[in-house]
Amino acid sequence: MSGVIKSEPFVINIGPQHPSTHGVFRIKATVDGEKVIDAEMVMGYLHRSMEKLAEERTYTQNIPFTDRTDYLSSMSNNLGYCLAVEKLAGIEVPPRGNAIRVIMAELQRLASHCMAVGAFANDTGAWQTPVMWAFREREKILDIFEVTSGARLTCNYMRIGGVAFDLRPEFEPMVRRVLRDFPPFIDEMEGLLSGNEIFIARTKGVGVLTPEMATNASLSGPMLRGSGIAWDIRKADPYCGYEQYDFDIPIGYNGDSYDRFIVRLEEMRQSVRIIQQALDGLPGGPFRTEVPLALRPPKGEAYARIESPRGELGYYLVSDEGPSPYRFHIRPPSFINLSALKEMTVGGTVADAIVVLGSIDIVVGEIDR
Amino acid sequence: MTRELTGSEAAALAEALVPGSVDRTTETACYLKPDRLVETLRALRDDPEANLVHLTNLCGVDYWDHFEVVYHIQSFEKNHLACFKVEAWDREKPEVPSVTPVFHGAWMQECEAYDLFGIQFAGHPNLYRILLWEGYPGWPLRKDFLAMPGGLQPGLGEFAGVARRQEPPVKVIE
Repeated sequence: MSGVIKSEPFVINIGPQHPSTHGVFRIKATVDGEKVIDAEMVMGYLHRSMEKLAEERTYTQNIPFTDRTDYLSSMSNNLGYCLAVEKLAGIEVPPRGNAIRVIMAELQRLASHCMAVGAFANDTGAWQTPVMWAFREREKILDIFEVTSGARLTCNYMRIGGVAFDLRPEFEPMVRRVLRDFPPFIDEMEGLLSGNEIFIARTKGVGVLTPEMATNASLSGPMLRGSGIAWDIRKADPYCGYEQYDFDIPIGYNGDSYDRFIVRLEEMRQSVRIIQQALDGLPGGPFRTEVPLALRPPKGEAYARIESPRGELGYYLVSDEGPSPYRFHIRPPSFINLSALKEMTVGGTVADAIVVLGSIDIVVGEIDR
Repeated sequence: MTRELTGSEAAALAEALVPGSVDRTTETACYLKPDRLVETLRALRDDPEANLVHLTNLCGVDYWDHFEVVYHIQSFEKNHLACFKVEAWDREKPEVPSVTPVFHGAWMQECEAYDLFGIQFAGHPNLYRILLWEGYPGWPLRKDFLAMPGGLQPGLGEFAGVARRQEPPVKVIE
């Protein structure tokens, strides 16, 4: 017997029906023993051709579509689309509308990061307990959305020129309660996971991205910040009055899965700060500018972007003075964050590939649109 | 606040690095000549003054007689955003050079533009239909692709190679 074990490359499919792919997404991994030597992505199972459908409908009718792209952060998607239409048509939003938008977008970030952090812990093997804790907190935010917009997941709350309804009297006490409960929850989550030996062993040094690679691969959001680039659209290109609020951009140093997790946790703390300030200084007045339902923006094009929980969410609209957009393009952060998946997974083990995918925090509805 | 460069500002940056690369400019965008595209974007990425390092958005647009590919490129240090475009006039086989050698992040977005518009990206390492399946008839985001009302009928019967589903006869109960 020689000491060398002969092995041949072997293809395994991770997904499409697999809990760690967070939806219907497939990685065709070629493995040599336990080591991944090639990874190919297969997507499109959820393709609904939203960009084509949107060309047939009016600007207002397209808002519900955006809910269904990234279904874990529908408020952010609504906001990005409405900002693009407002930029195209030159519509001003009243201060109260902007403040409500900021509160909603940040609450959505908290809810979405709860899901991201909980599911990531699930992927690393901390089965179910962290995700249940995270869902317990996320539930309170969804209740706020239900009180305000009538829906929990696909809120359809933003409108061109403002928001759909004014806040109800229950809103403020509910948000205050969430703000009170959230910082202890984040500490609890951090205490549970970030010092855990198994968690550290599974995530430190896994899926390392250098800052150069992250930039060149067009990554955004926590992926980019985890690699040490302090780039946040809310600071760099403020929208909805984000320049009035005092908050910090957390960044990581090593660019591994652990740093991306820590960046998300820290972002939740910053979101709590932003909501606190926005709620304290919530201005009165109208919450929406009146805009014709069949809006016909002038001829031209506009690219507007926001910092969604997953990264830079952009909408590129082209208008030909018609009632519906001539071209409606979404720049989906989850889709483009996958550009570097192969670089991150090749060389690691199959179990590492699951951790890397969890650390990207994909939403398949947004990848496939 | 990110400064969005006007077409002429972007053109000035491009002309200074690669003379003769600019085709024309509009208020918001700078049209580059397709054969100089890769060279120009690489020069703009490496130049510290332009510093256009992050290919934020890439998408195709169909204008009936020609296709445009739009590139939004962001600078982190200078905090400006430039919009470049190239045109492809051949409707049967539109082709523009791939910028994947310059920006790794372009590869998936170019696959998407190929998938939905049929724009060929010359020099792309692995151009395939990323969202739809190989053999899908037509390019859905083109303006002449039939939209659902009146055009393409739902169901698999419309696709080549698949037999039209037989509707069962309706029984009338008297």
